[in-house]
Amino acid sequence: MWSTARTIAAGDLVIVWLTRDLVQPLYVAPGKDFNSKYGSYRHADLVGLPYGSKVRARGGRGFIHVLRPTPELWTLALPHRTQILYLADIAFITSWLDIRSGSRVIEAGTGSGSFTHSTARTIGPTGHLWSYEFHEARFAKARDEFARHGIADRVTLTHRNVCKEGFTVEDTVDAVFLDLPAPWDAVEHAKKALRKDRVTRICCFSPCMEQVLRTVSALNEAGFTDITMYETLIRPQDVSVVPKLKPISEVSARLKEAERRREEKRQRQIREAQRRKRKRAEEEGEGEGAIQKEESEGVEVKKVKTDGEGGEKGDVVEENDGQAVEGKDAALDVRPAQDATASTSAVVPSKTEPQPDAEEAGQEEETIVVSKTFPEVRGHTSYLTFACLLPAALVTRASEPPPSKGTGDVEMAVVAE
Amino acid sequence: MQEGTSTLPLNTSRGLIQDGDTVLLRLPNGDVRSIKLEKDSTVNLGRVGSFNASDLFNHTYGLTYDISGKKLEVIPPRSIQEVEDTEATNELINDGEFVQPLTSEEIETLKKSGVPASEIIKRQIEQHANYSLKTEYSKEKYKKRKEAKYSKTFTTIEPTLFNVCEYWFKKDQSRLRDIRCDTLSQMLHLASVRPGGRYIVVDDASGILVAGVLDRLSGDGRVISICDVESSPAYPVLTQLNLKKEALSTVLSSLNWATADEEYIPMLAASGTSREVKSERQKVRASKRKAAGDSLVSVREELFDGEFDGLLVASEYDPLSIVEKLSPYLAGSASIVVQSPNIQVLADLQSQMRQIPHYLAPAVTEVWLRRYQVLPGRTHPFMNMSGSGGFLLHAIKM
Repeated sequence: MWSTARTIAAGDLVIVWLTRDLVQPLYVAPGKDFNSKYGSYRHADLVGLPYGSKVRARGGRGFIHVLRPTPELWTLALPHRTQILYLADIAFITSWLDIRSGSRVIEAGTGSGSFTHSTARTIGPTGHLWSYEFHEARFAKARDEFARHGIADRVTLTHRNVCKEGFTVEDTVDAVFLDLPAPWDAVEHAKKALRKDRVTRICCFSPCMEQVLRTVSALNEAGFTDITMYETLIRPQDVSVVPKLKPISEVSARLKEAERRREEKRQRQIREAQRRKRKRAEEEGEGEGAIQKEESEGVEVKKVKTDGEGGEKGDVVEENDGQAVEGKDAALDVRPAQDATASTSAVVPSKTEPQPDAEEAGQEEETIVVSKTFPEVRGHTSYLTFACLLPAALVTRASEPPPSKGTGDVEMAVVAE
Repeated sequence: MQEGTSTLPLNTSRGLIQDGDTVLLRLPNGDVRSIKLEKDSTVNLGRVGSFNASDLFNHTYGLTYDISGKKLEVIPPRSIQEVEDTEATNELINDGEFVQPLTSEEIETLKKSGVPASEIIKRQIEQHANYSLKTEYSKEKYKKRKEAKYSKTFTTIEPTLFNVCEYWFKKDQSRLRDIRCDTLSQMLHLASVRPGGRYIVVDDASGILVAGVLDRLSGDGRVISICDVESSPAYPVLTQLNLKKEALSTVLSSLNWATADEEYIPMLAASGTSREVKSERQKVRASKRKAAGDSLVSVREELFDGEFDGLLVASEYDPLSIVEKLSPYLAGSASIVVQSPNIQVLADLQSQMRQIPHYLAPAVTEVWLRRYQVLPGRTHPFMNMSGSGGFLLHAIKM
């Protein structure tokens, strides 16, 4: 499969990690350049570097991480030809189907090859995967890709519509995985392909409940047992470092102080206005003064109001001695660190460490680590319908009419067609 | 396992039941028992009955047996049967009504006289006053409940990693530190465990993580596990996987937090050589001591030489101290996967790892799994679901 050497060689596939949301495959070809908004890099410069190196851009300030490909990274980086399977589903299916070193597995359809790469890794050199794709262009792309990734020896790729033509092997495989629009049409074919000397397993991957019901019905008719269905998801957590939550006594004190200041200011302004009025009255004549009085009173009323609001805002900045603001910045700085990690994490060196002296110093603020689920997450991928097939002799017996229909342990009922 | 592979198969028993295997048996009420099968020993399943262990040898897993007398009879797997929708409702059925004239003493007598479960249930139904009023769905439920109570059957469960994990999780999930089947499979994938790979495993979860990696390696690869006890760690989960001892010892080696420390000076190796040998017994003891010492030295060297492909952790100890201690032995671009039942532990770990440049993109996720009842007209998620399989942190060593 992919290189297991310590260092990168010409011709290797490497995964270029730009940010968490920007992960790209790169085939190292000395002579070529890799250009991105994070700078320009010569392929030749990557050769000989250990996998997992951080590489600085030529002349620029950007950098990239060059990683060893794994099926999981490939799933993040691969060119999408179809909707693809992700980690949670792939891992769960692999586990339920008992796919491991030496397993013989069927997959239909190939799609973008996300499940293919993962399974090729898990079965190792002693196992074998038969993969079927009915779309010719996708088949051709997958064929080239598998050859390039060195898995062509353990993956036999066939261009075929398995619902119509069935599979190319009989009585051979330990497990079948069907990611097809109408998996029920392939169930009988799957039964032929599964080996008959031991328990074998099947998984059908369908996004809709209606598909599940038809699949369950087909599996039951074909003699599969232990039919069950799961849904699995990964819920990413958003971890951030925030200032320790303040007690309300602080808020209360702040509000009281603000009110006291506002009142002080108001009193000051009234005194000032009266002083000015008196002054003007002394300086100018009686008749003109009456008009002035009205005008200035109007202005002063407004002024008190605006000053009051402005004063309150000003108080927050002053009285919280910039800590709240600084604290917020610290929390914000942490987020990019999550994405680009290494470099940006240096932005918040001391803030996130618990600082026992912080309070005494009065400069550093105590922080806490909090976590929450992201506001929008993947809520559904597909339903995973599983079933077992017991060795042939028993399945034949099972398909006879049940002996004691009245009292049998009826776990499920067939969908009436 | 396939025939003709060059590697030593770690688990040859998968597929057929062998003498000495520990097997999982599912009883009619859904309970699962773990039983070690010894030749000609009697397996007692309580109410369900007893049988001779040898009767299961060389059978494939997944079969259902009926115990009549002490003999086992394979019964065909059950297929789904149609339930007809009728107009019946529970309008006229009230709780607490006397509906079953058949007394428990009478049922007991029937059971003792060897009347099959299906016959007892049939008689109960015949005498049940309101049975005909029930909906067809309700009748099915009633029959299933009675079946679980009276039938003398059991099913062998293949010891796949999934099934073994599910068995332990149901038995006591705290002993697995909440590692559910989906958690385990995600960890194995995030660490990209592959045949031939080399992994460091810290497992305070009864060995489920070690079991997972060993199962994926199937005898080809290397695992060094680090534990918190002096002697070799007890990983009870390995029992059900029926791993072959010889193959196991070539793949798995264990160190503890003292012997995994580069500063540690092994006592065994230092004192074992200079002593004068007196008796044959002492000779044997001395050579054993020497072998143990040599093996410890070589495992330590192997760890310190590093370049491991992944680190998997499910531990009760401070995760940052573990990750910092062991990450120097990882190859560049190796995966680090840490599981905890508590989000707080991993949230703290993530915020600490973010500040250390040689960890790329530490990310915390929660696993979520929901199982469905798939019955036509009655397909819905199970009313009870597992609340937590814990949380995962994944990062890449730079």
